[in-house]
Amino acid sequence: MTRKKSIKALNQKARAIQKLAEGETKSVEALQQGPPAMPVGCTTIFDTGWETNPRPSNPVGNCQASVKDFPGCAGDCWWPAQVPDGLTNHEDFDKQCANIARDWREIKYD
Amino acid sequence: MNSRLAWADHRVFEHGDEHLVFGVEDASLFALSDAAHRTLRQWRRQRTLDPDRLQPADLESLQEFCDARILRPLSPKAAPVCRAEPGRTALATLVLEVAQDCNLRCNYCYAGDGTYGGSPTLMDPATSRRSLRYLLEHSGDHEHVTVILFGGEPLLNLPAVQAAVDEADSYGGSLGKKVHFSLTTNGTLLSPEIIRFLNDARISVAVSMDGPPAIHDSNRPHADGRGSYAGIVANLKALLDGAPMPVAARVTLTPAQWASLVEVFDHLSGLGFHEVGVAPVSPVCASLLPSREQEDALMRGFETLAGRFLDEAAMGRILPFSNIIDLLSRLHGGHAKGIACGAGYGYMAIDASGRFFPCHRFTGMTEFQAGDIGTGIDGARLRAGLGELNEGREESCSRCWARTLCAGGCHYENHLRENQLGLPRGTSCRFIRNWLELGIKTYASLCSGDAIRVMNPFLNKRAQC
Repeated sequence: MTRKKSIKALNQKARAIQKLAEGETKSVEALQQGPPAMPVGCTTIFDTGWETNPRPSNPVGNCQASVKDFPGCAGDCWWPAQVPDGLTNHEDFDKQCANIARDWREIKYD
Repeated sequence: MNSRLAWADHRVFEHGDEHLVFGVEDASLFALSDAAHRTLRQWRRQRTLDPDRLQPADLESLQEFCDARILRPLSPKAAPVCRAEPGRTALATLVLEVAQDCNLRCNYCYAGDGTYGGSPTLMDPATSRRSLRYLLEHSGDHEHVTVILFGGEPLLNLPAVQAAVDEADSYGGSLGKKVHFSLTTNGTLLSPEIIRFLNDARISVAVSMDGPPAIHDSNRPHADGRGSYAGIVANLKALLDGAPMPVAARVTLTPAQWASLVEVFDHLSGLGFHEVGVAPVSPVCASLLPSREQEDALMRGFETLAGRFLDEAAMGRILPFSNIIDLLSRLHGGHAKGIACGAGYGYMAIDASGRFFPCHRFTGMTEFQAGDIGTGIDGARLRAGLGELNEGREESCSRCWARTLCAGGCHYENHLRENQLGLPRGTSCRFIRNWLELGIKTYASLCSGDAIRVMNPFLNKRAQC
Protein backbone atom coordinates (compact mmCIF):
# COMPACT_ATOMS: atom_id res chain seq x y z
CA MET A 1 0.00 0.00 0.00
CA THR A 2 1.36 3.41 -0.88
CA ARG A 3 0.99 6.05 1.80
CA LYS A 4 -0.10 9.50 0.81
CA LYS A 5 3.07 11.51 0.55
CA SER A 6 3.42 14.58 2.68
CA ILE A 7 6.44 15.71 0.66
CA LYS A 8 5.50 16.14 -2.97
CA ALA A 9 8.22 16.10 -5.61
CA LEU A 10 7.83 19.08 -7.91
CA ASN A 11 10.66 18.90 -10.42
CA GLN A 12 12.09 15.97 -12.34
CA LYS A 13 15.15 15.66 -10.11
CA ALA A 14 12.96 15.47 -7.02
CA ARG A 15 10.87 12.72 -8.63
CA ALA A 16 13.99 10.79 -9.61
CA ILE A 17 15.26 11.00 -6.02
CA GLN A 18 11.99 9.75 -4.57
CA LYS A 19 12.03 6.90 -7.07
CA LEU A 20 15.51 5.96 -5.87
CA ALA A 21 14.12 5.59 -2.38
CA GLU A 22 11.40 3.17 -3.45
CA GLY A 23 12.05 -0.24 -1.97
CA GLU A 24 14.66 1.11 0.41
CA THR A 25 12.38 0.73 3.40
CA LYS A 26 13.67 -2.01 5.69
CA SER A 27 11.97 -5.35 5.27
CA VAL A 28 14.33 -7.33 7.48
CA GLU A 29 16.52 -6.27 10.31
CA ALA A 30 19.66 -8.06 11.36
CA LEU A 31 19.37 -9.16 14.94
CA GLN A 32 22.35 -7.19 16.09
CA GLN A 33 20.88 -3.90 14.87
CA GLY A 34 18.95 -1.69 17.18
CA PRO A 35 18.17 -2.11 20.85
CA PRO A 36 18.59 -4.52 22.46
CA ALA A 37 22.06 -4.65 21.00
CA MET A 38 22.56 -8.38 21.57
CA PRO A 39 20.00 -10.98 20.69
CA VAL A 40 19.63 -13.79 23.12
CA GLY A 41 20.10 -17.21 21.70
CA CYS A 42 20.43 -18.00 18.04
CA THR A 43 21.88 -15.81 15.37
CA THR A 44 20.68 -15.62 11.83
CA ILE A 45 22.68 -17.60 9.33
CA PHE A 46 23.91 -14.47 7.57
CA ASP A 47 25.55 -13.06 10.65
CA THR A 48 29.21 -12.53 10.35
CA GLY A 49 30.79 -15.58 11.86
CA TRP A 50 33.59 -15.99 14.34
CA GLU A 51 36.01 -16.06 11.40
CA THR A 52 35.63 -12.33 10.75
CA ASN A 53 38.01 -11.42 13.48
CA PRO A 54 40.37 -14.28 14.23
CA ARG A 55 42.79 -11.91 15.93
CA PRO A 56 42.65 -11.69 19.70
CA SER A 57 41.90 -8.01 19.44
CA ASN A 58 39.03 -5.63 19.27
CA PRO A 59 36.41 -5.63 18.06
CA VAL A 60 35.81 -8.84 19.89
CA GLY A 61 32.16 -7.92 19.69
CA ASN A 62 32.38 -8.64 16.03
CA CYS A 63 32.13 -12.30 16.92
CA GLN A 64 29.69 -12.14 19.70
CA ALA A 65 26.61 -13.23 17.86
CA SER A 66 28.31 -16.40 16.72
CA VAL A 67 29.98 -16.78 20.06
CA LYS A 68 26.57 -16.87 21.61
CA ASP A 69 25.64 -19.56 19.13
CA PHE A 70 27.97 -22.11 20.54
CA PRO A 71 26.74 -22.30 24.08
CA GLY A 72 23.29 -21.09 23.08
CA CYS A 73 22.56 -23.53 20.33
CA ALA A 74 24.48 -26.53 21.51
CA GLY A 75 23.04 -29.24 23.68
CA ASP A 76 19.33 -28.97 23.85
CA CYS A 77 19.01 -26.28 21.22
CA TRP A 78 16.22 -26.79 18.72
CA TRP A 79 18.38 -25.44 15.88
CA PRO A 80 21.78 -27.03 15.90
CA ALA A 81 22.73 -26.23 12.32
CA GLN A 82 25.38 -23.65 13.06
CA VAL A 83 27.17 -25.46 15.83
CA PRO A 84 28.77 -28.81 16.12
CA ASP A 85 26.28 -31.50 16.91
CA GLY A 86 26.72 -31.61 20.67
CA LEU A 87 23.99 -34.22 21.19
CA THR A 88 25.49 -37.21 19.44
CA ASN A 89 28.74 -36.75 17.57
CA HIS A 90 30.64 -33.99 19.38
CA GLU A 91 29.39 -34.12 22.89
CA ASP A 92 32.42 -32.35 24.35
CA PHE A 93 33.15 -30.01 21.56
CA ASP A 94 33.37 -26.98 23.83
CA LYS A 95 35.04 -28.62 26.75
CA GLN A 96 38.29 -26.75 26.23
CA CYS A 97 36.54 -23.47 25.74
CA ALA A 98 35.89 -21.77 29.02
CA ASN A 99 35.51 -18.57 27.14
CA ILE A 100 34.47 -19.31 23.63
CA ALA A 101 35.39 -15.88 22.33
CA ARG A 102 38.91 -16.41 23.57
CA ASP A 103 39.31 -20.15 23.24
CA TRP A 104 37.41 -20.87 20.05
CA ARG A 105 40.50 -22.45 18.50
CA GLU A 106 40.11 -25.30 20.99
CA ILE A 107 36.73 -26.34 19.72
CA LYS A 108 36.78 -30.01 18.79
CA TYR A 109 34.24 -31.29 16.37
CA ASP A 110 35.88 -32.77 13.30
CA MET B 1 23.70 0.31 14.73
CA ASN B 2 21.93 2.57 12.25
CA SER B 3 24.14 5.39 11.06
CA ARG B 4 23.40 8.86 12.29
CA LEU B 5 21.48 11.17 10.01
CA ALA B 6 22.37 14.70 9.06
CA TRP B 7 20.39 17.38 7.25
CA ALA B 8 21.58 17.93 3.72
CA ASP B 9 21.95 21.57 2.71
CA HIS B 10 18.47 22.83 1.93
CA ARG B 11 16.48 26.02 1.75
CA VAL B 12 12.86 26.49 2.76
CA PHE B 13 10.73 29.00 0.86
CA GLU B 14 7.34 30.28 1.86
CA HIS B 15 5.12 30.33 -1.17
CA GLY B 16 1.55 31.47 -0.63
CA ASP B 17 0.17 29.18 2.04
CA GLU B 18 2.58 26.35 1.34
CA HIS B 19 6.25 25.68 1.98
CA LEU B 20 8.80 24.53 -0.53
CA VAL B 21 12.09 22.87 0.20
CA PHE B 22 14.97 23.13 -2.25
CA GLY B 23 17.66 20.46 -1.96
CA VAL B 24 20.80 22.42 -2.70
CA GLU B 25 23.16 19.65 -3.81
CA ASP B 26 20.63 17.99 -6.09
CA ALA B 27 18.69 21.10 -7.21
CA SER B 28 15.60 19.14 -6.22
CA LEU B 29 12.36 20.89 -5.35
CA PHE B 30 9.61 19.56 -3.10
CA ALA B 31 6.37 20.95 -1.71
CA LEU B 32 5.71 20.17 1.96
CA SER B 33 2.39 19.38 3.56
CA ASP B 34 1.69 21.25 6.79
CA ALA B 35 2.60 18.13 8.75
CA ALA B 36 5.90 17.73 6.90
CA HIS B 37 6.71 21.38 7.46
CA ARG B 38 6.04 20.97 11.19
CA THR B 39 8.35 17.95 11.26
CA LEU B 40 11.07 19.88 9.49
CA ARG B 41 10.76 22.83 11.86
CA GLN B 42 10.87 20.53 14.84
CA TRP B 43 14.04 18.71 13.84
CA ARG B 44 16.07 20.83 11.46
CA ARG B 45 17.94 22.70 14.22
CA GLN B 46 19.58 19.44 15.27
CA ARG B 47 22.65 18.99 13.16
CA THR B 48 22.53 15.20 13.42
CA LEU B 49 19.89 12.71 14.48
CA ASP B 50 20.40 9.26 15.94
CA PRO B 51 17.67 6.96 14.59
CA ASP B 52 18.17 4.55 17.48
CA ARG B 53 17.10 7.22 19.92
CA LEU B 54 14.04 8.40 18.01
CA GLN B 55 10.51 7.26 18.71
CA PRO B 56 9.02 5.12 15.92
CA ALA B 57 6.45 7.85 15.15
CA ASP B 58 9.17 10.48 14.74
CA LEU B 59 11.21 8.13 12.60
CA GLU B 60 8.22 7.58 10.38
CA SER B 61 7.59 11.28 9.91
CA LEU B 62 11.25 11.84 9.09
CA GLN B 63 11.38 8.92 6.66
CA GLU B 64 10.05 10.98 3.77
CA PHE B 65 12.85 13.48 4.29
CA CYS B 66 15.27 10.56 3.98
CA ASP B 67 13.50 9.45 0.81
CA ALA B 68 13.89 13.01 -0.52
CA ARG B 69 17.61 12.95 0.41
CA ILE B 70 17.06 16.05 2.52
CA LEU B 71 18.04 13.91 5.50
CA ARG B 72 20.96 11.61 4.79
CA PRO B 73 23.26 9.20 6.57
CA LEU B 74 26.06 11.22 8.09
CA SER B 75 29.13 10.57 6.05
CA PRO B 76 32.57 11.52 7.30
CA LYS B 77 33.47 13.30 4.10
CA ALA B 78 31.72 14.53 1.01
CA ALA B 79 31.64 12.29 -2.03
CA PRO B 80 34.38 13.21 -4.48
CA VAL B 81 33.20 15.52 -7.22
CA CYS B 82 34.14 14.45 -10.69
CA ARG B 83 34.74 17.60 -12.63
CA ALA B 84 36.05 18.30 -16.09
CA GLU B 85 38.73 20.92 -16.59
CA PRO B 86 38.75 23.83 -19.00
CA GLY B 87 40.37 22.93 -22.29
CA ARG B 88 39.91 19.19 -21.76
CA THR B 89 36.33 18.95 -22.95
CA ALA B 90 35.08 18.36 -26.48
CA LEU B 91 33.95 21.57 -28.15
CA ALA B 92 30.22 22.04 -28.61
CA THR B 93 29.98 25.75 -29.40
CA LEU B 94 32.31 28.21 -31.09
CA VAL B 95 31.69 31.94 -31.29
CA LEU B 96 33.09 33.41 -34.49
CA GLU B 97 33.89 37.09 -34.16
CA VAL B 98 33.55 37.56 -37.89
CA ALA B 99 33.53 41.35 -37.69
CA GLN B 100 35.28 43.31 -35.00
CA ASP B 101 33.70 46.43 -36.32
CA CYS B 102 30.27 47.99 -36.00
CA ASN B 103 28.16 50.64 -37.67
CA LEU B 104 26.43 51.53 -34.37
CA ARG B 105 27.83 53.29 -31.33
CA CYS B 106 25.86 51.78 -28.46
CA ASN B 107 26.58 53.76 -25.35
CA TYR B 108 27.04 50.68 -23.13
CA CYS B 109 29.13 48.56 -25.51
CA TYR B 110 31.55 46.29 -23.69
CA ALA B 111 33.37 45.64 -26.95
CA GLY B 112 34.76 49.13 -27.57
CA ASP B 113 32.30 49.99 -30.36
CA GLY B 114 32.63 46.46 -31.70
CA THR B 115 36.39 46.43 -32.10
CA TYR B 116 37.16 44.87 -28.71
CA GLY B 117 39.76 47.47 -28.00
CA GLY B 118 41.75 47.02 -31.23
CA SER B 119 41.44 48.47 -34.68
CA PRO B 120 38.43 47.42 -36.80
CA THR B 121 39.14 43.93 -38.17
CA LEU B 122 37.19 41.55 -40.37
CA MET B 123 37.81 37.79 -40.24
CA ASP B 124 39.04 36.53 -43.58
CA PRO B 125 37.00 33.68 -45.08
CA ALA B 126 39.98 31.28 -44.84
CA THR B 127 40.12 31.79 -41.04
CA SER B 128 36.38 31.31 -40.89
CA ARG B 129 36.71 27.95 -42.68
CA ARG B 130 39.66 26.88 -40.51
CA SER B 131 37.67 27.74 -37.41
CA LEU B 132 34.79 25.57 -38.57
CA ARG B 133 37.15 22.69 -39.26
CA TYR B 134 38.78 23.12 -35.85
CA LEU B 135 35.40 23.02 -34.13
CA LEU B 136 34.29 19.94 -36.03
CA GLU B 137 37.57 18.09 -35.44
CA HIS B 138 37.56 18.87 -31.72
CA SER B 139 33.92 18.14 -31.07
CA GLY B 140 34.40 14.57 -29.83
CA ASP B 141 31.20 12.57 -29.95
CA HIS B 142 28.91 15.56 -30.45
CA GLU B 143 26.74 14.98 -33.51
CA HIS B 144 25.45 18.54 -33.34
CA VAL B 145 27.60 21.58 -32.74
CA THR B 146 26.75 25.27 -32.66
CA VAL B 147 28.42 28.24 -34.29
CA ILE B 148 27.51 31.71 -33.12
CA LEU B 149 28.19 34.38 -35.71
CA PHE B 150 29.04 37.43 -33.72
CA GLY B 151 30.70 40.81 -33.74
CA GLY B 152 30.70 43.78 -33.72
CA GLU B 153 28.12 43.49 -36.42
CA PRO B 154 28.55 40.16 -38.22
CA LEU B 155 26.63 41.25 -41.30
CA LEU B 156 29.48 43.67 -42.06
CA ASN B 157 31.40 40.56 -43.13
CA LEU B 158 29.13 38.37 -45.25
CA PRO B 159 32.02 36.56 -46.98
CA ALA B 160 33.21 35.09 -43.66
CA VAL B 161 29.63 34.20 -42.69
CA GLN B 162 29.05 32.46 -46.01
CA ALA B 163 32.39 30.65 -45.78
CA ALA B 164 31.45 29.28 -42.36
CA VAL B 165 28.08 28.04 -43.59
CA ASP B 166 29.66 26.46 -46.66
CA GLU B 167 32.40 24.73 -44.64
CA ALA B 168 29.83 23.41 -42.18
CA ASP B 169 27.90 21.85 -45.04
CA SER B 170 30.86 20.33 -46.84
CA TYR B 171 33.26 19.34 -44.05
CA GLY B 172 30.56 18.80 -41.42
CA GLY B 173 28.65 16.67 -43.89
CA SER B 174 31.71 14.52 -44.60
CA LEU B 175 32.10 13.86 -40.85
CA GLY B 176 28.39 13.20 -40.36
CA LYS B 177 28.03 16.20 -38.03
CA LYS B 178 25.44 18.94 -38.18
CA VAL B 179 26.22 22.55 -37.41
CA HIS B 180 23.54 24.85 -36.07
CA PHE B 181 24.16 28.53 -36.69
CA SER B 182 22.92 31.49 -34.77
CA LEU B 183 23.67 35.11 -35.50
CA THR B 184 23.33 38.19 -33.35
CA THR B 185 22.82 41.32 -35.39
CA ASN B 186 21.90 44.90 -34.79
CA GLY B 187 19.36 44.52 -37.59
CA THR B 188 20.37 47.62 -39.52
CA LEU B 189 21.87 45.79 -42.49
CA LEU B 190 19.14 43.24 -43.16
CA SER B 191 18.26 43.28 -46.85
CA PRO B 192 15.94 40.90 -48.75
CA GLU B 193 19.02 39.06 -50.09
CA ILE B 194 20.57 38.67 -46.66
CA ILE B 195 17.27 37.56 -45.16
CA ARG B 196 16.92 34.94 -47.92
CA PHE B 197 20.44 33.71 -47.19
CA LEU B 198 19.75 33.51 -43.42
CA ASN B 199 16.53 31.58 -44.05
CA ASP B 200 18.09 29.18 -46.54
CA ALA B 201 20.93 28.40 -44.11
CA ARG B 202 18.39 28.03 -41.26
CA ILE B 203 20.32 30.48 -39.12
CA SER B 204 18.66 31.44 -35.83
CA VAL B 205 18.70 35.20 -35.67
CA ALA B 206 18.73 37.40 -32.59
CA VAL B 207 18.23 41.12 -33.18
CA SER B 208 19.57 43.52 -30.60
CA MET B 209 16.76 45.94 -29.84
CA ASP B 210 16.20 47.78 -26.60
CA GLY B 211 12.52 48.66 -26.79
CA PRO B 212 10.45 51.65 -27.95
CA PRO B 213 12.21 54.33 -30.04
CA ALA B 214 13.02 56.61 -27.12
CA ILE B 215 14.88 53.93 -25.18
CA HIS B 216 16.35 52.12 -28.18
CA ASP B 217 17.66 55.22 -29.93
CA SER B 218 19.21 56.63 -26.81
CA ASN B 219 21.09 53.35 -26.30
CA ARG B 220 21.90 52.39 -29.88
CA PRO B 221 22.69 55.34 -32.16
CA HIS B 222 24.54 55.20 -35.47
CA ALA B 223 28.07 56.57 -35.59
CA ASP B 224 26.64 59.89 -36.79
CA GLY B 225 24.25 60.06 -33.84
CA ARG B 226 21.06 59.08 -35.70
CA GLY B 227 18.83 56.60 -33.92
CA SER B 228 18.76 53.07 -35.37
CA TYR B 229 15.20 52.07 -34.46
CA ALA B 230 13.41 53.12 -37.65
CA GLY B 231 15.88 51.39 -39.94
CA ILE B 232 15.60 48.10 -38.07
CA VAL B 233 11.82 48.07 -37.93
CA ALA B 234 11.68 48.65 -41.69
CA ASN B 235 13.47 45.30 -42.21
CA LEU B 236 11.88 43.41 -39.40
CA LYS B 237 8.63 42.25 -40.95
CA ALA B 238 10.39 40.49 -43.82
CA LEU B 239 12.73 38.78 -41.36
CA LEU B 240 9.97 37.66 -39.01
CA ASP B 241 7.57 36.53 -41.72
CA GLY B 242 9.85 34.13 -43.51
CA ALA B 243 12.03 32.86 -40.69
CA PRO B 244 12.24 29.07 -40.39
CA MET B 245 13.73 29.46 -36.92
CA PRO B 246 12.43 31.66 -34.06
CA VAL B 247 13.72 35.22 -34.17
CA ALA B 248 14.60 36.67 -30.78
CA ALA B 249 14.95 40.22 -29.58
CA ARG B 250 18.00 40.62 -27.40
CA VAL B 251 17.59 43.56 -25.08
CA THR B 252 20.19 45.41 -23.07
CA LEU B 253 18.95 47.87 -20.49
CA THR B 254 20.94 50.29 -18.38
CA PRO B 255 20.01 50.55 -14.68
CA ALA B 256 18.16 53.82 -15.30
CA GLN B 257 15.89 51.91 -17.72
CA TRP B 258 15.22 48.87 -15.54
CA ALA B 259 11.92 50.21 -14.29
CA SER B 260 10.74 50.10 -17.93
CA LEU B 261 11.23 46.37 -18.33
CA VAL B 262 7.56 45.48 -18.84
CA GLU B 263 7.03 48.31 -21.30
CA VAL B 264 10.10 47.19 -23.27
CA PHE B 265 8.94 43.58 -23.32
CA ASP B 266 5.44 44.52 -24.48
CA HIS B 267 6.78 46.74 -27.21
CA LEU B 268 9.12 44.13 -28.63
CA SER B 269 6.71 41.21 -28.43
CA GLY B 270 4.21 43.57 -30.08
CA LEU B 271 6.64 43.97 -32.98
CA GLY B 272 6.27 40.23 -33.56
CA PHE B 273 9.50 38.82 -32.13
CA HIS B 274 9.10 35.16 -31.32
CA GLU B 275 10.97 35.61 -28.07
CA VAL B 276 12.35 38.48 -26.02
CA GLY B 277 15.33 38.13 -23.71
CA VAL B 278 16.62 40.88 -21.48
CA ALA B 279 20.15 41.40 -20.21
CA PRO B 280 20.94 43.96 -17.55
CA VAL B 281 23.91 45.88 -18.91
CA SER B 282 27.40 44.78 -17.90
CA PRO B 283 28.99 47.41 -15.66
CA VAL B 284 31.82 48.32 -18.01
CA CYS B 285 32.19 51.54 -16.04
CA ALA B 286 31.16 52.56 -12.54
CA SER B 287 28.31 54.72 -13.86
CA LEU B 288 26.57 51.57 -15.11
CA LEU B 289 26.57 49.93 -11.68
CA PRO B 290 23.01 49.73 -10.38
CA SER B 291 21.74 51.02 -7.09
CA ARG B 292 19.76 48.72 -4.84
CA GLU B 293 16.57 50.58 -5.79
CA GLN B 294 17.27 50.03 -9.47
CA GLU B 295 17.85 46.32 -8.83
CA ASP B 296 14.56 46.16 -6.97
CA ALA B 297 12.75 47.91 -9.81
CA LEU B 298 14.11 45.35 -12.27
CA MET B 299 13.05 42.50 -9.97
CA ARG B 300 9.53 43.92 -9.79
CA GLY B 301 9.45 43.91 -13.58
CA PHE B 302 10.60 40.29 -13.62
CA GLU B 303 7.89 39.46 -11.06
CA THR B 304 5.23 41.06 -13.23
CA LEU B 305 6.37 39.11 -16.28
CA ALA B 306 6.62 35.87 -14.28
CA GLY B 307 3.01 36.42 -13.15
CA ARG B 308 1.95 36.95 -16.73
CA PHE B 309 3.86 33.84 -17.75
CA LEU B 310 1.72 31.86 -15.26
CA ASP B 311 -1.50 33.45 -16.53
CA GLU B 312 -0.63 32.49 -20.09
CA ALA B 313 0.48 28.99 -19.05
CA ALA B 314 -2.88 28.41 -17.38
CA MET B 315 -4.43 28.96 -20.79
CA GLY B 316 -1.96 26.66 -22.49
CA ARG B 317 0.12 29.45 -23.99
CA ILE B 318 3.74 30.46 -23.53
CA LEU B 319 4.70 34.06 -22.79
CA PRO B 320 7.78 34.50 -25.00
CA PHE B 321 10.04 35.85 -22.26
CA SER B 322 13.36 34.05 -22.65
CA ASN B 323 14.74 34.74 -19.19
CA ILE B 324 11.95 33.02 -17.31
CA ILE B 325 11.64 30.22 -19.88
CA ASP B 326 15.33 29.38 -19.54
CA LEU B 327 15.26 29.49 -15.76
CA LEU B 328 12.10 27.36 -15.54
CA SER B 329 13.50 24.76 -17.90
CA ARG B 330 16.62 24.40 -15.72
CA LEU B 331 14.57 24.16 -12.56
CA HIS B 332 12.23 21.66 -14.23
CA GLY B 333 15.06 19.23 -14.86
CA GLY B 334 16.80 20.02 -11.58
CA HIS B 335 20.12 20.71 -13.25
CA ALA B 336 22.75 21.25 -10.59
CA LYS B 337 25.73 23.17 -11.92
CA GLY B 338 29.28 22.56 -10.75
CA ILE B 339 30.67 25.24 -13.04
CA ALA B 340 29.24 28.64 -13.82
CA CYS B 341 29.05 28.37 -17.59
CA GLY B 342 30.50 26.53 -20.53
CA ALA B 343 33.23 29.11 -21.21
CA GLY B 344 36.47 27.22 -21.70
CA TYR B 345 34.75 23.85 -21.42
CA GLY B 346 32.65 23.12 -24.49
CA TYR B 347 32.35 26.78 -25.40
CA MET B 348 35.07 28.98 -26.88
CA ALA B 349 35.33 32.18 -28.91
CA ILE B 350 37.71 32.92 -31.74
CA ASP B 351 38.41 36.49 -32.75
CA ALA B 352 38.72 37.96 -36.24
CA SER B 353 42.45 37.26 -36.36
CA GLY B 354 42.07 33.66 -35.16
CA ARG B 355 42.91 33.92 -31.45
CA PHE B 356 41.00 31.80 -28.93
CA PHE B 357 39.32 33.21 -25.81
CA PRO B 358 37.17 31.49 -23.15
CA CYS B 359 34.10 33.34 -24.39
CA HIS B 360 33.08 36.23 -26.62
CA ARG B 361 33.10 38.64 -23.70
CA PHE B 362 36.84 38.15 -23.15
CA THR B 363 37.75 38.75 -26.80
CA GLY B 364 40.77 41.01 -27.15
CA MET B 365 41.84 40.69 -23.50
CA THR B 366 45.30 39.22 -23.95
CA GLU B 367 45.51 37.96 -20.36
CA PHE B 368 42.69 35.56 -21.23
CA GLN B 369 43.93 34.56 -24.70
CA ALA B 370 44.36 30.78 -24.95
CA GLY B 371 46.10 29.85 -28.17
CA ASP B 372 45.19 30.52 -31.76
CA ILE B 373 43.91 28.70 -34.80
CA GLY B 374 47.46 27.81 -35.85
CA THR B 375 48.52 26.14 -32.59
CA GLY B 376 45.09 25.19 -31.26
CA ILE B 377 43.49 25.92 -27.90
CA ASP B 378 46.11 26.33 -25.17
CA GLY B 379 44.55 24.45 -22.27
CA ALA B 380 47.16 25.57 -19.75
CA ARG B 381 46.59 29.27 -20.54
CA LEU B 382 42.86 28.74 -20.45
CA ARG B 383 43.00 27.09 -17.03
CA ALA B 384 45.38 29.73 -15.72
CA GLY B 385 43.16 32.63 -16.85
CA LEU B 386 39.92 31.20 -15.51
CA GLY B 387 41.64 29.75 -12.46
CA GLU B 388 43.07 33.09 -11.37
CA LEU B 389 39.72 34.78 -11.83
CA ASN B 390 37.98 32.19 -9.69
CA GLU B 391 40.63 31.56 -7.04
CA GLY B 392 38.79 30.88 -3.79
CA ARG B 393 35.35 31.51 -5.26
CA GLU B 394 34.18 27.98 -4.63
CA GLU B 395 34.88 28.46 -0.94
CA SER B 396 33.05 31.78 -0.80
CA CYS B 397 30.07 30.22 -2.61
CA SER B 398 30.08 27.08 -0.48
CA ARG B 399 27.60 28.40 2.07
CA CYS B 400 25.15 29.84 -0.48
CA TRP B 401 21.92 27.93 -1.14
CA ALA B 402 21.96 29.07 -4.77
CA ARG B 403 25.40 27.69 -5.59
CA THR B 404 24.19 24.77 -7.72
CA LEU B 405 21.99 27.07 -9.80
CA CYS B 406 24.53 29.89 -10.19
CA ALA B 407 27.93 28.30 -9.54
CA GLY B 408 29.64 31.67 -9.19
CA GLY B 409 28.03 33.63 -12.01
CA CYS B 410 29.37 35.09 -15.23
CA HIS B 411 33.18 35.16 -15.38
CA TYR B 412 33.18 38.43 -17.29
CA GLU B 413 30.75 40.20 -14.94
CA ASN B 414 32.90 39.06 -12.02
CA HIS B 415 36.01 40.30 -13.79
CA LEU B 416 34.45 43.72 -14.38
CA ARG B 417 33.18 44.12 -10.86
CA GLU B 418 36.12 42.69 -8.97
CA ASN B 419 39.17 43.41 -11.15
CA GLN B 420 38.15 46.51 -13.11
CA LEU B 421 35.94 48.31 -10.60
CA GLY B 422 37.63 46.94 -7.48
CA LEU B 423 34.43 45.81 -5.80
CA PRO B 424 34.48 43.01 -3.23
CA ARG B 425 33.15 39.61 -4.21
CA GLY B 426 29.44 39.06 -4.09
CA THR B 427 28.01 42.44 -5.09
CA SER B 428 25.59 40.82 -7.51
CA CYS B 429 24.68 37.83 -5.30
CA ARG B 430 21.61 39.37 -3.70
CA PHE B 431 20.07 40.13 -7.06
CA ILE B 432 20.90 36.70 -8.47
CA ARG B 433 19.43 34.93 -5.44
CA ASN B 434 16.23 37.00 -5.68
CA TRP B 435 15.92 36.08 -9.33
CA LEU B 436 16.44 32.37 -8.65
CA GLU B 437 13.93 32.47 -5.80
CA LEU B 438 11.41 34.07 -8.15
CA GLY B 439 12.04 31.23 -10.60
CA ILE B 440 11.56 28.58 -7.89
CA LYS B 441 8.26 30.10 -6.77
CA THR B 442 7.04 30.56 -10.33
CA TYR B 443 7.89 26.94 -11.05
CA ALA B 444 6.02 25.80 -7.92
CA SER B 445 2.97 27.79 -9.05
CA LEU B 446 3.21 26.11 -12.44
CA CYS B 447 3.22 22.72 -10.68
CA SER B 448 0.21 23.51 -8.52
CA GLY B 449 -2.12 23.53 -11.51
CA ASP B 450 -2.41 21.56 -14.69
CA ALA B 451 -0.06 23.89 -16.58
CA ILE B 452 3.08 21.89 -15.84
CA ARG B 453 1.70 18.87 -17.69
CA VAL B 454 1.14 20.98 -20.80
CA MET B 455 4.51 22.69 -20.43
CA ASN B 456 6.49 19.52 -19.77
CA PRO B 457 7.59 18.72 -23.36
CA PHE B 458 8.40 22.37 -24.02
CA LEU B 459 10.55 22.74 -20.92
CA ASN B 460 12.29 19.43 -21.59
CA LYS B 461 13.17 20.48 -25.10
CA ARG B 462 14.31 23.88 -23.98
CA ALA B 463 16.58 22.38 -21.35
CA GLN B 464 18.50 20.59 -24.09
CA CYS B 465 19.23 23.82 -25.97
